[in-house]
Amino acid sequence: MSRLNRRYALFAWFTVAASFLFVPSAASAATEFSPEGEFALPPFISIEIFGIDMSINKAVVYIFIAAIVTTLVVTMIARTMRVRPESRTQTTVEIAYSLMKDNITDGNLDPKMAARWFPFIGTLFLFIWFSNMIGYIPLPFNTEHTMTILGLELPTFALYAATANIAMPLTLALMVTVAYHFEGIRAKGLVKYVRGWVPSGVEGFMVGPILLIEVLSHIVRIISLSVRLYANILAGHLLLLFMGGGLVVLLGMGLIGSTILGLATGALAVVFFLFEIGLVATLQAFIFCTLTAIYLDGAVAEEH
Amino acid sequence: MDPSIILAAADVETAAAYAETAGRAMGLGLGTGLAALGTGIGLGFIFGKTIEAVSRQPELKSEIQSIQWLGFALTEATVFYGFIAGLIAFFV
Repeated sequence: MSRLNRRYALFAWFTVAASFLFVPSAASAATEFSPEGEFALPPFISIEIFGIDMSINKAVVYIFIAAIVTTLVVTMIARTMRVRPESRTQTTVEIAYSLMKDNITDGNLDPKMAARWFPFIGTLFLFIWFSNMIGYIPLPFNTEHTMTILGLELPTFALYAATANIAMPLTLALMVTVAYHFEGIRAKGLVKYVRGWVPSGVEGFMVGPILLIEVLSHIVRIISLSVRLYANILAGHLLLLFMGGGLVVLLGMGLIGSTILGLATGALAVVFFLFEIGLVATLQAFIFCTLTAIYLDGAVAEEH
Repeated sequence: MDPSIILAAADVETAAAYAETAGRAMGLGLGTGLAALGTGIGLGFIFGKTIEAVSRQPELKSEIQSIQWLGFALTEATVFYGFIAGLIAFFV
């Protein structure tokens, strides 16, 4: 597919998604728009293992899509690589690779650690990036609002991101935490590693309180790493939701007021949408991986 | 203003329910707003210092900018800690 065709395909997709706005509301099972249901996670397939809810819901489907898309796209591009870049796709991928390799991994880790951990950090980057970006493509997974077309009850198109749910960033953050503690213990041994948390020069009774603060800081790292990604994406989606109609519905200012407000917030929604896909999605993936590299380096560094 | 609100507020239980809702809403609004205040100051510092650094040493522009985005993302995240704390206050 040429570049032009691909652009048309994306445009056509958005047109299809937007055209469902004109499906008469009589066909829609939900007669009124309730923005608070956008982030609800009704189970598609209920699974319960040992009392733990493991249902397949919207967030899980998004994670599956992100994983499949990441694997397929990257494998496809890797298979069609040329020594001399012919397509813009390859040039883009090379820029992304250089960002992951030179900027994130080699910029923060020493060569031996960089070689060992580049696959992990690169995978993290691509997975988070794809999860974020898929979140800005309208997909038909909104079962809160259904529409009836030709007698079939179909879910409507909506924006949702796997990373707008605390579960996925928290899992990734826990993986990173386990990874860097493991690496630190492997490099120094358990006792020396924990002793290394306390800065050299601290002696006597001050070791206890400082160690406590350091332990707390390691716990806070998990929270800050996961909440940063989660809250950025969630806030972005909330902003799009409110600007793209939620505010108008909640305020309910009559026909003329709603029209003026809707046009103003609609224009703002487009601006925020471009801001989100242009900066936030990539920047959050970048920051997550950079911090992963910094934590890994901090765990094996000789002096604290 | 609907006078029935005043009448309803005279009822102690309804008043308490209203007060709780109001307190939660204020918690969310004030928490996020104050967090945004601090984050705004922090972001201003980062971009201001970047402009200063680039105008002093234009040849280091790309290097300074990559550090700037790191600082931007780390600082920007603080508003979201306030926002999440506000959401917890609002819903839990």
